[in-house]
Amino acid sequence: MPTRIKLTDGQFSLVEDPYTHVSDDEDLVRGDLIISLTRFQSEGERLLAEGRSVGVRLEPAEEVEVLAYDLPRIALVAVAFPKFNDGRAYTAARLLRERYGFTGEVRAVGDVLREQAGFMVRVGFDAFEPADGSTPEQWAHTAHRQRHVYQRAADRRAPAFAERE
Amino acid sequence: MYQYDTLDKEFLADRAAEFREQVVRRLAGEITEDQFKPIRLMNGLYLQLHAYMLRVAIPYGSLNPTQLRVLADIGRTYDKGYGHFTTRQNLQFHWIKLADTPDILDRLAAVDMHAIQTSGNCIRNTTADPYSGATAEEVDDPRVWSEAIRQWSSLHPEFSFLPRKFKIAITGAAKDRTAAKVHDIGLMMRRGRDGVLGFEVIVGGGLGRTPFVGPTIKEFLPANRLVSYLEAILRVFNRHGRRDNKYKARIKILVAALGAEEFGRQVEEEWAKIGPESDLPDTEIARIRGAFAATAFDTLVNRSEVFEAAKAADLGLARFARNNLREHKRAGYTIVEISLKAIGETPGDATSDQMDVVADLAERYGQNDIRVTHEQNLVLPHVKLDDVPALYAALNAAGLATPNVNLITDMIACPGLDYCALANARAIPIAQDIARTFADQDRAELIGELKIKISGCINACGHHHVGHIGILGVDKKGEEFYQLTLGGSGAEDAAVGSMLGPALPADRVAPAIDTLVEVYLRERQGQERFLDTFRRTGVVPFKEAVYADAN
Amino acid sequence: MKALTGNRLTDGEVVFWKAGAWVERFADAELFESAEAGEAAEAHAKTEQTVIVDPYLIDLIESEGLWAPVSYRERLRALGPTNHLHHGKQAEGGAAIEALQHASGAARSKGRVNLIKR
Repeated sequence: MPTRIKLTDGQFSLVEDPYTHVSDDEDLVRGDLIISLTRFQSEGERLLAEGRSVGVRLEPAEEVEVLAYDLPRIALVAVAFPKFNDGRAYTAARLLRERYGFTGEVRAVGDVLREQAGFMVRVGFDAFEPADGSTPEQWAHTAHRQRHVYQRAADRRAPAFAERE
Repeated sequence: MYQYDTLDKEFLADRAAEFREQVVRRLAGEITEDQFKPIRLMNGLYLQLHAYMLRVAIPYGSLNPTQLRVLADIGRTYDKGYGHFTTRQNLQFHWIKLADTPDILDRLAAVDMHAIQTSGNCIRNTTADPYSGATAEEVDDPRVWSEAIRQWSSLHPEFSFLPRKFKIAITGAAKDRTAAKVHDIGLMMRRGRDGVLGFEVIVGGGLGRTPFVGPTIKEFLPANRLVSYLEAILRVFNRHGRRDNKYKARIKILVAALGAEEFGRQVEEEWAKIGPESDLPDTEIARIRGAFAATAFDTLVNRSEVFEAAKAADLGLARFARNNLREHKRAGYTIVEISLKAIGETPGDATSDQMDVVADLAERYGQNDIRVTHEQNLVLPHVKLDDVPALYAALNAAGLATPNVNLITDMIACPGLDYCALANARAIPIAQDIARTFADQDRAELIGELKIKISGCINACGHHHVGHIGILGVDKKGEEFYQLTLGGSGAEDAAVGSMLGPALPADRVAPAIDTLVEVYLRERQGQERFLDTFRRTGVVPFKEAVYADAN
Repeated sequence: MKALTGNRLTDGEVVFWKAGAWVERFADAELFESAEAGEAAEAHAKTEQTVIVDPYLIDLIESEGLWAPVSYRERLRALGPTNHLHHGKQAEGGAAIEALQHASGAARSKGRVNLIKR
């Protein structure tokens, strides 16, 4: 079974991934799935009725607002980084957590690099499919690098101004 | 000045340690250049023609003597004994070795400095009026808000991979010395009718390939709502700015495409959702403000007999005083501009020895405060008039008393093809040519305020679009040519210059400027600046003269 | 005629390929008469990830018996900046540097010799 790095209670670990990514031109397989927003919109209702856990893959141009209604029913949002520097994914993750209170898994997929671990964790990602072969230890190292942060974000870390009080 | 506390210091130390590891991984071959390039750029490290270039952030252009001495020493130890001040109030070192950069960043961090976000598609160093805290013109001290933005924007998790770079400038004075209207965001401090402090928010100005004077999207933003409003602007940009073409990715293109009104509406909508929870608490603003309130002024009279007598005895000092001093908010004090535009030298360059001299003088005469201007000069913002003669003598001895601030020889020039990997033509030698042409100070003063700005390529780091006379280097079949524009301004009367005519070969540029000046002197009425005359007469007389001359 | 150049990883120094090694002086650079030889060297250089950054071939042109880079940008890389004549490779001086400085057009053109000779 494939794996992904999972962040739970501040700990990064490599855990088995029960989900199967199914692209739009592939046939559906059994079990829990991650499918595109388009496919979710046409087949999601049926898949959820079958009792499956369904994750939706969100591409950068797709807006999280579209998912607002369905968020309570889906287990996971896979936010795509077609390139590591497509920063729209950071806004998407942050809105999922802060604005929609999404508590399921928010997974970084695509060109996911350990250098960005700190930023990803701060905006609310809690699962990662690294493209650079990096390990949970390396993610933990990078994500915990900065002892202080200056802004409020989805991770609820106390910013410097709150630490100072 | 703002003093870094333990948190600020640890933040810089952690970031420097991270970069050290990244450099080790690169040198060991664990990461490729393609992977490393964005990493080094996040720390202001470019690879240019001759070596690496390290761009050090000087937040809102404010330095203390200790910091300036460390910059001087880095220049001496790791570069060739000098540094180059930029149009974003930063300092560039042009001869840096990759292997030395971790040590350099540690040296910087030890004096509360860094190179974070001096490159990359992130929120860059916020620039501010170099006269902050010294000029009577200001509504409020913009450094307070610049420091708040520095902290908020540092390693911002959501806004570190924007469609393109993002630059913010703040002025507290109506007279704009920050080029706020050609920034991604320009903030102009205002006092509301009820006395509440706020900002006029200008978004989507810019230079480069498609210059724009930015429109105002909010007439009055209460100052305590600044951070949430910035967050709203950045979020709209991050989501909707173009990412398919780097030349169309700046926020100015989005604002122009949507129209300022619609862009403003989207920002308001997002801002309403964000709410005031994202703003900085008043206590934090008060803490930052406290750090800038510490300047202690003596109670003096407005006239200094020492200074007046010295001026009467020394024409050089009198000339320096005429051109390089600006009115201070306190009686008996003055703002002193130190020109980095000595005739024939590279605009914006200062040697390490000169930096040490300025640091010493700031300690002795300037309340430990040094500013960098976006026009690539330095400022001692708080000098007693009584001390000006001694200060002038010391500056003069160090080659730092060029009396040409705002005059024709006070040019902006980007490093151009002499250093920069992006440039198409050289900029510095053109500036040197022009400076020699107008080396006669009497003539320069007769001409008065005239801003020449030179860029070596269309990216416009030399701000040519907003020069009263702008000069853009282009490559025509392998030869350096220069395109002249007239009538631009980066100040409160911001405007994009219009093209004069066909590009000129390098050796014809300085003579053409001379011709333009002759036309101005012939046409000007009363106290008109070059820009005013141009705006009244239009391009025709200037164009005729330059190209008649060419035939 | 071509030469192979790049910037050295550790210090950014401009270097030129010479028979499997990198040299700092343009005058010492290996000159490739055949496209194949140059491309083979370039392909090899691209594998030297921990030595060199972005190696590439440059065009040379003969100017009064001297092979000089065609583009002015490459002449600046081989010499140093024109505003600080004591910075960069030109600081060393000597006949080869002087010849390159005075190669046709080195004053203001990016190097089309026939264009700037006038």
